[in-house]
Amino acid sequence: MTRLFLISAVIIFFGNISTGFAQTQRIALGDKAPEIELSDPNGRPVPLSYLKGKLVLIDFWATWCAPCVKEQTELAGLYKKYKRSEFTKGKGFEIYGVSLDAKKSNWETGIHTLNVQWIQVSDLKFWQSPVAKTYNIQELPFNVLIDENGIILAKNLHGAELGKAIAGYLIRK
Amino acid sequence: MYDVNEINDLTMKTKIAIILFLTVSLPGMAFNLFSSQEQKDPWTPQQLLNPAELAKMLNNPKLPQSYVFSVGPQAVIKGSIDIGPARMKGNLDNLRLQLDKLSKNALIVIYCGCCPFDRCPNVRPAIELLKNMQFCNYKLLNLPRNIKADWIDPGYPVND
Repeated sequence: MTRLFLISAVIIFFGNISTGFAQTQRIALGDKAPEIELSDPNGRPVPLSYLKGKLVLIDFWATWCAPCVKEQTELAGLYKKYKRSEFTKGKGFEIYGVSLDAKKSNWETGIHTLNVQWIQVSDLKFWQSPVAKTYNIQELPFNVLIDENGIILAKNLHGAELGKAIAGYLIRK
Repeated sequence: MYDVNEINDLTMKTKIAIILFLTVSLPGMAFNLFSSQEQKDPWTPQQLLNPAELAKMLNNPKLPQSYVFSVGPQAVIKGSIDIGPARMKGNLDNLRLQLDKLSKNALIVIYCGCCPFDRCPNVRPAIELLKNMQFCNYKLLNLPRNIKADWIDPGYPVND
C-alpha cells in the first residue's frame, strides 16, 4: 500500500513538472524565440526572423489594452534613443509590435494616433491569435527581448527595468 | 506611591490623545468607506457565472438557453452576439436596442474577456444598463483573467 502511494506520488510529481515545462519551454530564457509570420497593416508579411542581427523587443499589445497604450510612449522613447545603437547582442535596436486587436480600423487608428514608428504586425484575431498560444501569453502587455540570433534574453520587463536591461547590452550609442 | 496630580495629568493627556485620534482618523475612515462604496462593482457574487456552466449550456440544447452578448473587442464564444466594446456609446446604444426586444426575465449573459475585471472598461457599463433596464435574470461571465486563459485555453466552444 505504501509502495503504491509512493509510486503515485512520484508519477504525479514528475507529471506536474513535465506539464509545467511543456507550457513554458518555448519562451524560456536562452531558447530561440518561435518564429512569427504575420503581416503589417498594408498586408505585407514581416517575419520576425527578418530582424536577425538586431536587438529586438517583441511587444505584444492591443489598442483595447489601456496599460499597453500607455506603454507605447515609453517604447517610443527607447526606440528613438537606441534605434541605431550598437549592442553586445546586436547591431541596432528594433521593436516588433504584435497587436492582438480584433478590428483593423482600431489597430490602424491606434498606430496613427500614437505615432508608432516601428514594425507592426497582426492577424486581427484578438485572444484567438495562434501567436498568443505559442508565446503562452497570459495577459497584456507582454514582451520578449531577443538577441541578434533570436535567442530570448528577457521576458515581460516594463518601465525602468526594461530600459535598464537594454542599456545593459549597450556598447555605443 | 502615585502622585494624584500626576495621575490626573496622565488621564487628561489620554483624553486629549483620544480626541485628537478621533478628530484626525474619523473623517479619513468615513472617506474610505465612501470611496469603497463608490468603487463597488455593479454585480453581486451570485451574478457571476462560471465558464464551465455556460459551456455546459451551450453544449446541451436541452438545457435552458441564454442570450450571450459580447461587449468586448470580439465575440469569441460560440453563438454569442457581437455588440462591440460597451465603453463606446454607440455600442451601448446597440446593446440597449437588442435588450429592448427581450423579456425582462430572459437569461442574459454578458462577457468581455479583454483583461481582468479591475481593468476592463466594458463590463461595468453593460451591467449597469441591464440593472437600469430592470432585467432580473442577468449574469456576468466570470473571466477573471481574460477570454484566452478562462475560456479558450480550457477548450470551451468558440466561434470559427
